[in-house]
Amino acid sequence: MALLEVDDLTVQFYTEDGVVTAADELSFTVESGEKFGVVGESGAGKSVTALSLMRLIEEPGRITDGEIRFKGEDILSMSESEVRSIRGNEMAMIFQDAQTALNPVYTVGEQISEAVRHHLDYSEADARDRAVQLMDDVGIPEPDARYDDYPHQFSGGMQQRVVIATALSCDPDLLIADEPTTALDVTIEAKILDLIENLADEYDTAVQLITHDLGVIAEVCDRVMVMYAGKPVEKAPVDDLYYDPKHPYTVGLMSSIPRVGEQRDRLQTIPGTMPDLVELPSGCSFHPRCPFAEDACTRKEPPLVDHETGQAADGDTDQHVAACLEYTGDLVEGLDYQVDVDGADPNTGSATERGRDHGA
Amino acid sequence: MRRIYESDALYRDDDEPGAPRERQREERPQSFRSVPSGSLSRWLVPDRVRRWGLSLEVVTPRTEFRVGEHVPFQVTIKNSLPFPVTVATRSPLLWTWHVDDHRAASKLSADGPPEEERGFRFERGERKRFRKRWDGMFKIADAEWERATTGEYTIGAGLNVEGAADRGLYSETTVTLRPE
Repeated sequence: MALLEVDDLTVQFYTEDGVVTAADELSFTVESGEKFGVVGESGAGKSVTALSLMRLIEEPGRITDGEIRFKGEDILSMSESEVRSIRGNEMAMIFQDAQTALNPVYTVGEQISEAVRHHLDYSEADARDRAVQLMDDVGIPEPDARYDDYPHQFSGGMQQRVVIATALSCDPDLLIADEPTTALDVTIEAKILDLIENLADEYDTAVQLITHDLGVIAEVCDRVMVMYAGKPVEKAPVDDLYYDPKHPYTVGLMSSIPRVGEQRDRLQTIPGTMPDLVELPSGCSFHPRCPFAEDACTRKEPPLVDHETGQAADGDTDQHVAACLEYTGDLVEGLDYQVDVDGADPNTGSATERGRDHGA
Repeated sequence: MRRIYESDALYRDDDEPGAPRERQREERPQSFRSVPSGSLSRWLVPDRVRRWGLSLEVVTPRTEFRVGEHVPFQVTIKNSLPFPVTVATRSPLLWTWHVDDHRAASKLSADGPPEEERGFRFERGERKRFRKRWDGMFKIADAEWERATTGEYTIGAGLNVEGAADRGLYSETTVTLRPE
């Protein structure tokens, strides 16, 4: 039994414009101690998925279908108090924007120790000691002195560390990190990612890392799910995805990564934008932007299938699955792109990739 | 626990320009809303009057399109009453659209949002505009669509209330799809 099992999760928001389906029959699992990445453009439904796991979707949003099982228990059928006993305790979240996540009228130390007192029944003094220790663990200098500081007295990077410390305060089994480094500069980003990775190893915590940065996924994760318009379009172990992407969207994302020393005048992009989730295109949601789209793509929505056998995804974590009609035999012309790996043997995991061609 | 107003983080001075003033303990609201007009209209205005004040119109930029071309349309819902109204809908959707009686161009049995009442507010004289496109396809199965053939199609939109058509809260327009 996996630590987290999500089956056919559907989350909808009812707006005046219509129904926004932010997550559409999403299924995935996260094993204990695993680092699982979720990647996609803004608006792909990554954050909504994360919030659903914690049952934090608010009106006008609603989880309309599916199951979320954490340690075998269905989160969606739990009472609010049962969910509160898990949230922040066994399952914790690092929110996107630390400044917004922290309460400006409480000291940072209080915000960390509150979780410890509430979930672990620590006394005031013990909770303070624990909070100071955590602040030290996440690299906040002079934690004892800074315990009584307010969030505005911290820099963005330090605030993010406080949020991480809060999330780790009760030794969660699953840490959901929702773009933890988006608001930070690259040097702080590298430090924060190292920190999450080290702490996850140290506390044996499973991490679900949500980001739009493929580089971050490559560095941290074991497995990855690529999302587009609320649906998973590719799931694979991280090496398979990087060395052998199977979905045109993944290929497009990879092609758009700028590389040092590149001779191109312009950065490569995926033409167009993410569709409006109120009004998804018929067939494959990606077809209006896909360079390989054929007539069939406008009429049929591709299921998530094993790229070799064309069989439906069976939940095997090592399976490489993609949602493209190429793998169900419905494309006439097929996909035509080339992946060039420049460096060592992919199996060593030390290679750097360069020069992917996206297009015929 | 120390609160932020007990900290020395903020320097206050009544005399120095630019610095926040000392805290005033005397609570005096700086402004009043004249009346809670939304609630009042909900309590005082009968449903019939509220619906009578609303109108809905659907328009397309032209009446002929090629097969495969997207058909854009605009739905305008207007409150012509001089006060705000809240209209109760059958589900959390304010309005629905149809192509030849197929809701959202889907030939599947309606699998819409839950049937629970929801209120949508219109300010006085407010006009809400929604832009949509019909991509010329009909959904025929969970993951399958078929292209509409040449011919005439009726695009309709209605407020999501009981008997919308009878109450004048439904409008439709006809478009012709020509060969590519």
